[in-house]
Formats: sequence, C-alpha cells, structure tokens
Amino acid sequence: MHPLTSMRARALGLAPFVLLVVLPLASVRAQYPTTPPAATPIKAAVFPPFQEATLANGLRVVVVQSKKQPVVAVSLAFPAGAFYDPAGRSGTAEMVAGMLTKGAGTRTADQISDAIEGVGGSISAGVDADFLSVRTAVLTNDTKLAFDLLADVVIRPTFPEKELELLRTQSLSGLQLEQSQPSAIADRFFRKGIYGDHPYARKADPASVKAITRDDLLKFHKARLRPNGALLVVSGDITLAQVKLLASAAFAGWTGAAPAAAAIKEPPTGKATEILLVHRAGSVQSNILVGNTSWAPTNPRSFAGTVMNKVLGDGASGRLFMTLREAKSWTYGAYSAFERRKGLGYFVANTEVRTAVTDSALVELLAQLKRVTVEPIPDAEIDASKNSIAGAFPLKIESSAQVAAQVAAVKLYDLPAAYLQTYRQRIAAVTSATAQAAAVAGIHPDKAVIVVVGDGTKIYEGLKKIATVRIVAPDGSALKPEDLVVKGGSLDIARDQIVATSDSFAVMFQGNALGYQRSSLVKADGGWLLTEDSQIATVVQQHTEVRFTENFVMLSAKQTGKQAGKDVKIDVAYAGGRAKGTAATPQPPAGDVKSTIIDAEVPAGAVDDNLITTLLPAMKFSAGAKIPVTVFQSGKGTTITMTLSVIGEEEVKVPAGTFATWKVEMAGGEQPSTLYVEKAAPHRLVKLAIAGAPVELVRIR
Amino acid sequence: MRVAQALLALAVISASALAQEPGKVAVESYTLANGLKVHLVEDHSSQVVAVDVWYDVGARNERAGRTGFAHLFEHMMFQGSANVKKAEHFQFVEKAGGFLNGSTTIDRTNYFEVLPSNRLNLGLWLESDRMRSLAITQPNLDNQREAVKEERRMRMDNQPYIGVVIDSIASLYDRDKCFAYAHSVIGSMNDLNAAKVEDVAAFFKLYYAPNNASLVVAGDFEPAEAKKLIEQYFADVPRVPAPPKVNCEQAFNTGALRRTVTDKNATLAASVAFFRVPEEAHEDHPAVELLSNILGQGESSRLNRAVVREAKAAAAAQTLGLYGPTRGPNALAVLAIANQGVAVDSVEKLVAAQIQRIAAEGVTEAELSKAKNSFRSSKIMERESALNVAESVHYAETFLGDPLKVNTDLARYGAVTVADIKRVAAKYLQTANSLVLMIVPPEAK
Repeated sequence: MHPLTSMRARALGLAPFVLLVVLPLASVRAQYPTTPPAATPIKAAVFPPFQEATLANGLRVVVVQSKKQPVVAVSLAFPAGAFYDPAGRSGTAEMVAGMLTKGAGTRTADQISDAIEGVGGSISAGVDADFLSVRTAVLTNDTKLAFDLLADVVIRPTFPEKELELLRTQSLSGLQLEQSQPSAIADRFFRKGIYGDHPYARKADPASVKAITRDDLLKFHKARLRPNGALLVVSGDITLAQVKLLASAAFAGWTGAAPAAAAIKEPPTGKATEILLVHRAGSVQSNILVGNTSWAPTNPRSFAGTVMNKVLGDGASGRLFMTLREAKSWTYGAYSAFERRKGLGYFVANTEVRTAVTDSALVELLAQLKRVTVEPIPDAEIDASKNSIAGAFPLKIESSAQVAAQVAAVKLYDLPAAYLQTYRQRIAAVTSATAQAAAVAGIHPDKAVIVVVGDGTKIYEGLKKIATVRIVAPDGSALKPEDLVVKGGSLDIARDQIVATSDSFAVMFQGNALGYQRSSLVKADGGWLLTEDSQIATVVQQHTEVRFTENFVMLSAKQTGKQAGKDVKIDVAYAGGRAKGTAATPQPPAGDVKSTIIDAEVPAGAVDDNLITTLLPAMKFSAGAKIPVTVFQSGKGTTITMTLSVIGEEEVKVPAGTFATWKVEMAGGEQPSTLYVEKAAPHRLVKLAIAGAPVELVRIR
Repeated sequence: MRVAQALLALAVISASALAQEPGKVAVESYTLANGLKVHLVEDHSSQVVAVDVWYDVGARNERAGRTGFAHLFEHMMFQGSANVKKAEHFQFVEKAGGFLNGSTTIDRTNYFEVLPSNRLNLGLWLESDRMRSLAITQPNLDNQREAVKEERRMRMDNQPYIGVVIDSIASLYDRDKCFAYAHSVIGSMNDLNAAKVEDVAAFFKLYYAPNNASLVVAGDFEPAEAKKLIEQYFADVPRVPAPPKVNCEQAFNTGALRRTVTDKNATLAASVAFFRVPEEAHEDHPAVELLSNILGQGESSRLNRAVVREAKAAAAAQTLGLYGPTRGPNALAVLAIANQGVAVDSVEKLVAAQIQRIAAEGVTEAELSKAKNSFRSSKIMERESALNVAESVHYAETFLGDPLKVNTDLARYGAVTVADIKRVAAKYLQTANSLVLMIVPPEAK
C-alpha cells in the first residue's frame, strides 16, 4: 500500500465531515402535499379514428388524418425483410432497400435526393427481420412529389451497377465499423445463439456482401415487392379520398400476386446454459445479453408477458434496473424486453457493466430472471405495471405518425382487428398467476443463451465459475483459454529505460514538509530490487521491498512498518500466475488494521502497486497518450486497471530544481492523482499530487 | 366522377406557393413572486401533457477542478427529496405511464416528465419537491458518481471516436479566458472522484432555485387548474441570490490546431474538423446553420456527393452539432469516416477542399432553398409532440431571450442569402479557426 494512501485516509479521518445538507422548508404552507397528489380521473382511451381501403391491385391502405401540422408521412411495407434473404446471400434485402433510392424510373440517385431534399422532405428504405419499408415525409404542399417518388422507387428501381459497387464498399466499411461497437457484436452473436440456422439469425457478413450480384437484387425485388401483401400507411393532414386518388395515379399499372410465404424452420431448442464469451481485448465494460426465443406476436400470452416484463425490466423502475444500477451501481442501465418477430419472437435481458463486476452482474441478472419464473409477483407490482401500461397508452399515440405506426403493426403482424381498441382491457385482465405463467413460458434462465462481450483476460476466470464458457474472437473464430493470456505483458514499456537509480522526495501536507520518501532501484539476483523508506510525521513509517525480473515478472512484495501506531505488514510472493501471502493493512474509514490471506490470480503483465512510480521512466509518454497499467494491489489481493493519461505539459518547480514535465492524470485506483513526469530522459517523477487532498510528493534530489 | 377526381387532385396539389409554416404556439407567460418563470402552452389534440423545467446551469458554470458537477448533479436530482424516496421519482412517473429524463449540456440542464393528462399534478409536484428539498447524501453521491462513471465508459470509453472527440474538443477554447466552454460536460473523472457532499450541496444552493429556473407546461391541461397547482407547489420555494455570471472571452481564428490520435476502439480511421462558430442569438447563426446543412446533411449534401459518392473515399462524411445550442462560443464539426483501405489524410484533404470551395465560390440558390426547406420542415414536424413544443419555448427563452420568439425565429433563417452563406463560410470555416483530429485505429498486430 502506498504511504500516501494511508496519509489520505488519516487526513480524512481527522476532518469532521458534514454529511447532510437539506434546505430548510421555510414556512411550509399547509396545503403543500407531503404525499404524491392523487390521479384525477383518467380520460377514456379514444383510439384516434383511422380509415382503410384496398386498391384494385390488392394494396392495402390505412389513413390516419390529423390537421395539427401541415405534414404528411407515408410508409409502404413489404413482407421482404432479412428473413427472406437467400441462403448464402445474407444482406440481400438490406441491399435491395439501399438501392431503391439509388436510381428509379428516369431519375438518377442524385435526382431523387435533389427532388426530395429540395423541398425539405425525406425518403428512405430500410429492413428489419420481417419487413422492408420505404418511408417518405413531406410538407403537405409536396404530397404529390412524395407519392411519385415512392412509386418510382418501389416499382421501377434501376439498380445501377455503379451505385451497387458504391453501396457494397459502404456496406463492407459498415461491417468493419460494427466490429468496433460492442453492442452490435453482442447482438449478432446473441441472435445466432437463439435462432441457430433459422433465417432470423441471418445477418450480412463480408463474404455474403461480396457475393451478392445485381441479378440477386432484381430477383428479390421482383419476387417480394408486390402490391398484394404490402401495406401503405399515410398519416397527417390528408384524407382517405386524397390518398386513394394519389395512390391510384402513382401506382397505376402496378400488379402482382402476393409473394410466397416462406416455410419457417424450427429454431434450435435450448440446451443447458453455456456462456459465449466474445473476447474484446481492452474492453472497459462487458456487454451482457441473456435470453431465448419466445412466441409469435399473435400469442394471447403476450399481454401477460408485457405486464410481467414491466415488473422485470422494462424501464427505470424494473427489478433489473433497481438492482443492477440503483442498488449495486454496476451499470448505467439494465433492461429486458420481448421482441416481436412475425414467426417467433424472443426475450432478451441486457446490461453493460464495468469489467470488474461482470460475473457478479451476470449472477444477479440470472437470479432476477429465475425469480420472476418461480416466485409469484406481488399484486402491488402487478397493479403498478398495469396502471403504467394503461397510462402510457396515450403517449404512444400522441402524433399521427405514432398512431399510424401502431395501426401498421396490427396489420403487419396479423393481430386481431380490435387489438388497439381493446388493448387496455386485455392488460387490465392480467393477474399475478397469468403473469407468472407468461414468465415460465417466455423466460428460460436455465437454458438461456448468454453472450458476454468483454475483455476475456479479465472476466474469463469469474465467468467459468457460473457456467461452461466458450470463447470466440469478435469475428467468430474459436479461442482457447490460453489464448487469453496477455503476451509480453499488458504494459507497453521501454525496458531499456529502466536503470539503477535513487530518488528522494519530501511529503508536503498543506504546504508544509511533513516527511520523506526515499527509494532506490538496484540490480539484484539477475533482476531488480526496489527499496523504499517512508516517514510521514508520526503517522506513517514503513519500509518496502519489491523484487521483479528483468522481464518485469513480479517476484515478491514485502512491507513492514507502523501506521498511526498500528503494525502493518505485507508479505506476498508471486509465482505461476498467482500471488500468495498475507497482508495486514489499515482499512477505511477508521484505519483499523485487518489481516488478510492473499491468494489471488495475477494477470500476465500486472505490476505490483508499489512499483508504479518506479516504472515511469519506461513508459511511452507523449501528448495525449493514454497508458493503461494492470496493477496488482498486493495489500488487498485484487487486480485493477489504472490509466495514466497525459493531459498537458507544465514547468514544475520543486526543491530539486525546475523541470519541463508531462502532466499525467492517474485514474482507476482509489486515489486519483496527478503526476508530473520529467520530459527529459530518464523521465523521473518530479511531483505527485493527490486529487482532493492537500498532500503532495515533491522531488528534493 | 372524372371531374370530381380532377378537382380533388387539384385540391391536393393546389396549396399556395407560399412556404408552409408551423402552427402558432400560444404561450401564456408569468413569473411567480420567487422568480420562477412559467410558460403555459395549452393544446388538447392529444391526452398528453409535458412538464419541463430548465435550470440555468450547465458545464459552463463549472470551474477548474470541479468539472462534471452539473452532470453529476443531474443524476442526484433523481435520488429523492423530502417527500420522495430514492428511486420513487422514476417509479411514480412510470406507474403513471409517463416517461421522464434529464439532460445536461454546456448551457443548461433540463428535467421533464411526459404524462397522461390526468397526472399533470404528479409531474408538477415531483419537480417542486426536488426543487425545494433535494436529498444530498453521501450514499446518493457515491452511488451516482459510479453511475456517471459507467455512463462515461458506455458512451465514450468503450465506443469508437466519441471518447477521443470529447476529450479533444475542449482544446478548441482558451482555458484561461473561457474555461466555461473549454472543458467537457462529462468532466474529469478525477474531479468527480474528488467531489464531496458539501460541494454538491453548495452547487444545489447556488443554482437550483426558482429564480434560476423556468417551467413550461405544454399539452392537454386546463390553464386555471395548472396555475392553481403551480402556485400551491412552487410559490413558497425560497428565492436565493443570483449565481455569478459566466465569463468567456473567446476569440476566433486563434491558429490552426492539428493532431493525430490513436483510438483503441476504432476499426476505421476518421477525420474530424471543428470550427469555432458564434452563439445561437448571433446574427450569423442562421447562416452557419444552413451552411452546415448544405455542406453535410442529407444525401444531396456537398460532402456526401463529393467525398462519399464521387471519390468513394469515405463511409460517411457529414456535419455534426456536438454542443447543442449555446450562449457562448459553439463548434461546427465535420466528420468523415474513411473507407477501408483509404488513407485518412486523403479523406481529410477532400473534405477541406469542399469547405474551401464554398468559401471561395459560395452555394447555389437551389442549395440554399433546400437548406431552408429542410430546416423549416424539421421545425414543423417536431411540433407534433408536447415535449418538443415545451423544449422549443425554453430554447427561445434561453437562447434567444424571449419565449415568444418560438413563433418568429424561423424568419431569421428565411432571410439568409447566398451571399451570407459565402461570407460565413469564409469567416468561420478557415484553417486558422479550426482543430483537426485524425483518429486512427491501433496498428494491426
């Protein structure tokens, strides 16, 4: 333990701590309520009226009229999502969507974007698992243009070769970009895990993107973008009569029978839980996904599932959020959801936690999933969830575009005609028993797919205590546990810069010299020996010896001394990737000395926490550099990652002289500090200041 | 039948050639005796009401050694108050079916609840309870400090580009003369670690007072009822002395900054150019905004056409507003992500050439018309939501000095000419006024 750490603990212990400041409630008026005001009566849920029609060519039309603003939004959806990608050509649907606006009818890509953006409108096409949708939005003056463009891009796309090659290049870059985004990596492996060879697992990859030909796109377009089976939804300041007129004119001559429904393969049945660890070296968080396939959107169980999931993980009052974020502070958020897929949906719980708590967070997450399946949900939680879902309904239909999206979902997922009108009643009918039944049917914690994307060198050991772990690289190639070893140490250092040296520092407390720290580094037994003596007033007195090899493999750390009159001692030996020994160190807040048996894994490349300043001469400082250091705390038996970030340059005056220094922030340990490191070789420490404490170490020779 | 159809068709397309405008926002404004500004916007077209409080505090109010406080404090505001236990704020709103959030920018901090209209009283009461009696405790501070660190890890340290950009952008401004804008909203982890509960309490006392706040209620409510509730809940929250003014003397064109940074999370190289631009209320702002659109928004933008489509050099090339609106100096950012196998230097040169071309040759009338239409339609489209309306009123009050400018601000943009665009491009988008970051992935091993 670094002597300044204990100094800081003492300094804080001495200072009286004002804990609580609450503003006085000056002359509280009698009528200010000290409990939340009661709800006034909820208004009857009026689902906004919408109108429907079917055009002569079989195209279904829905119109949601609203005169609120002079805007019109149009979406045209086809059963042409990624599900329908031909085998070996994953990404076809996505590429068709990307190409629709890149040349259509007599217009080039540039002419299309000039036309729509020129009037401040937009047109775009995208795919999800089930559907390909083209969307356009304009001010009402430009409605005709919107319909004309829409008709061109869905009926008469030209798929120019030149545009296809550009899109291919962009898609390949997009896939590479995805490899840098942990949530995208996690999602890809998760869906592969739950859906196996089922088409819902398909996702474009570099090979398939390179293989797709213009002919594939033409075939897909011809087979699946037809008026029958498609749904046109129009919302805004427009009537059904106007829509029919515009659509009949724009879509004149467009015909075609409904596309064939694809046979749905069964997804794999769940097997005993296994953790798929996607090793992302250097990741500072772990992305965790846990889940399984669930049911089709038409399953009546989905109402009880919605209520149950509200209790579990839908939002900031769900159990997952309340435990993982609010109680444990492990994450910024933790949620769960039932995702709709026309054939078969899935349940997923997700969180991103800091690396050190990955295993604990996964255990807690699984426990919460289990709990909801085995423990009846108290009626109070059920009622709260039901009220929440009922109350949220008006918020989901605030704008005409939102209303249109709700109506579109009913049509596209084949939900009952009265689904929206009876939604609140169906939710109100859910009981604790039906909610639990939905949990049992929809969540399978014992055979769930678990994907963890994180730094395997730090999380593998913890995860393997929970379940069997399979390790892969982000590109899917298999890894073995031994592949996770950090080769040559995680610290990139210039070993030849370490030379025998001795340093002497004064310990300043509120500007007064209160003690000293002297250190020397010498060659010993073919390796290095650091000896350090510290004295801070009468509070701290200690002697430290750390031995390590020429290749910076730790050998031993020994410390003896007194802190505030109590004996302290660390005696740890490093061997075979572990540290074993004993430590008796003061514990915050009161400084009681606690004895601990140290027996812990030490990652390759980790350095003893007493060595950080010794290694400064070998670190590669430069403007803006960020240097991660894996640190083993020999007084505690724990490993942490500290980061030394160069945040500036400064001329620093200390008793030993005036030096040009790198100003370096050291974070990640208990005591964030600022280090001033001499810019000239051998880059020795000039000054060290602890954040928030009036304590400094300054070089005196 | 034919005639009727023809007439209908005419009705659809006949609308005047005049530019369509958003519906007028009817704002009723008053101020309570304790200084709380109140703006009511009644609209019964849906059963939704938004309660939206802005405090006049953001990262610009922080001083060196105390960065990240405004944002940390935003988290503290959800940790309970005299009559609302920890986490109950979330629960009350969620149980009512509403949603809520808060956000911190350089210039302001906002808190809102969007609720079914029968729960207006809940939203107002929750805002008043924390304005008068926030629970500032050590456990709450410790817990939220960790949540903020996780937020930083998730949003910045574990993502490509963002961490590097946020860590670098502050150097665009002068730390001595304009510290207010020369540091990031998320702040330094060291400063957050050093934050003590007394510091947080002092921050609350200084900035979280009715006379430093503004309340907008928008949507489905009866004004008489809302006024009664606002009086009952907020009138006795005490006024405090006005907080100190923010000082910033930032010059433009202080010399080019250029650096190359390795981003361990990046898989594709990228260039980001930042240019110092003036504040929202400045006469040049509308032209800068429209210039940003012409240069880098949409398929038909200059950058997309030249760098992405013609040169095929970038996966994406666009302009970004990273700061949100400000009352101090702002930055226009131009991001280009290099395609696989394309040197980032060459991408950056292509981007710079497009910028220089606008400064030298200007833009076409068609491009300006497109930018104006795009800006206008985005303003119209956002008016469909009560929360967006509330935010627009706050924006007009905070950044333009008058909530009623919500209805007139669009005219500033309509008045911009092609000459204005050329002038502001030459004035602000020059090398001496820029910071250029070349972000490169770690070298392949």
